[in-house]
Amino acid sequence: MLREAQESVLAEMRRWGYRHVITPMVESTEVLERGIGADQRRRLFKFADARGEVVAVVGERTVPVARLVAGKLRGSPLPLRLCYAGPVLSTDDGRFQQRRETYQVGAELVGAPGTVADAEVIALAARCLQASGVQRYQVDVGHAEFFHGIMDAVKLPEEVKAAVRVALAARDFVALETLLEKTPLRSAEHELLLRFPALRGGSEILQAAGGLVRNRRSERALAELAEVQELLVAHGLGEVVSLDLGAIRDFDYYTGIIFEGYGPDVGRPVAQGGRYDGLLARFGRPAPATGFVVQLDLVWEMLIRAARPPALPRIDAAVAWSGSGLKTALRLGSTLRLFGMRAVVDTQAREQAESKTWWRTVGAVNLIHCRNESTVAWTVRGHRTRRLPPEQVAGRLAGGLA
Amino acid sequence: MSIAVPTGALMPGALRLLARAGVARLSGEELGRQLLVDRAGVRVILVRPADVPAYVDHGAADLGIVGKDILWETPGAHYELVDLRFGGCQLVLAVPLASKLNGAETWPPQLRVATKYPRTATAWFESRGQAVEVVQLHGSVELAPQVGLVDAIVDLTATGRTLRENGLRVTATLGASTARLIANQASLKTRTDAVQAAVGRLREAVGL
Repeated sequence: MLREAQESVLAEMRRWGYRHVITPMVESTEVLERGIGADQRRRLFKFADARGEVVAVVGERTVPVARLVAGKLRGSPLPLRLCYAGPVLSTDDGRFQQRRETYQVGAELVGAPGTVADAEVIALAARCLQASGVQRYQVDVGHAEFFHGIMDAVKLPEEVKAAVRVALAARDFVALETLLEKTPLRSAEHELLLRFPALRGGSEILQAAGGLVRNRRSERALAELAEVQELLVAHGLGEVVSLDLGAIRDFDYYTGIIFEGYGPDVGRPVAQGGRYDGLLARFGRPAPATGFVVQLDLVWEMLIRAARPPALPRIDAAVAWSGSGLKTALRLGSTLRLFGMRAVVDTQAREQAESKTWWRTVGAVNLIHCRNESTVAWTVRGHRTRRLPPEQVAGRLAGGLA
Repeated sequence: MSIAVPTGALMPGALRLLARAGVARLSGEELGRQLLVDRAGVRVILVRPADVPAYVDHGAADLGIVGKDILWETPGAHYELVDLRFGGCQLVLAVPLASKLNGAETWPPQLRVATKYPRTATAWFESRGQAVEVVQLHGSVELAPQVGLVDAIVDLTATGRTLRENGLRVTATLGASTARLIANQASLKTRTDAVQAAVGRLREAVGL
């Protein structure tokens, strides 16, 4: 089921013109550490190869993709639309999230600045969640520069500013309040910081925040958010998009529009992404970039918790055989697959009566038992068995006349 | 909307606060019997104090009331929103009355400390450049120095009475704890109105 979800998401990405790339599972830590934050660094699975070079299993794939764009793909003109899928490893942080290996599908749009590119990636993320089968989902859009502008404007000694960043990163608003209480100047920026968890809503939130900020960086961020929101409405996603000015993310990494996707009943974001215009330069090919990742494990959790969990992939036909029916069975299998059906041909001879037990274990809709070249016994689940020439069975199945 | 409430010392204060804020009105007896009570659209869940962050981080509860001491030990992806201003206590370093240990200058090169708070204790000593061997215990920590298991303990105290009764004195304070309101990160986004309304009422009730 996880694979099915992964396939649906990748198929959606391909429909948007994203090329599937495969990046290495193991990278030198020196390469990975150029792109990731301290916390992710700590959680890498590291080991030494035969020459003593310290390498690590990738904990995410944006950095490997950036390296690919600056390396093997340096001759390809920008913008590049790339997608990837696969497992990543991160050490457990010692608490309840015990899963070390998780599955991610992601997409990166490299070389395209501006809100149209931002909106494309957000819309793609939303459509990917939809394609994965998640029933209800929403996307919250924020902006890293809104936060940076406030931190520039807020009048605080440097060491207090550093503590403010730490408190915000830990989402500790009690500590934040204590820090800000100690400073005599209470500006609109203070109020905004303290109200971070509640700065979420529709376009009205932009006006409310616009009345409170007096700095160019934050104002430009608000203007970009308004543009992106309008573009997302044009993408047909007005219903699922909200604005979240208080989104707390890795602000050293993200440089512009950021977003998170949420589904029902899972306490963590199922998709995350945003603009990171600084990363590619660290690999020698400066370029703006934006992208996102879908956490497939969380998608899977949502799918199995849904009111009607999706069924396992359906097998269309179980083809059994006995006597001289093997060649007919193999031919029939090929024909059905040619029409896009899923067909399983038995690996051992079974009489018709015994083949029914096998059929049930395969879980197929149709059972076709071949005893010779001229006629086969065809049973549709819940119906009587009919005897027909194999070509007619194939024809009827292909025509959807079962 | 659901809220996790801890068993033990913080429970009476938490229930009084929920009632005063008009979030949910229920008795400790009722909750203690059922562990899970639905009242006017609010679900109150009674869990062990150390489990509150787990319930909230995984989204099984939108909000949680929990001592800061627990949060020191289990940082997570939750939002810590409000200092609820009850359940005040201190995390202290205590030694036997007869011990020569006092300020940092009297500590031996390697200190043995018993505690229920290994993470917090280790971080505190590390930040002071002190080598420490932390023995994690689950109860009756006061006993450990008396039988020679450790040099000192790091434990929570409200009045200092238990420490005095066990012949221990406080030599340093690692931190002050009160009850905190924490929130699941996704609940703030997916159930914004109900969760923010409850947070607002609780803030008002503690006079913020």
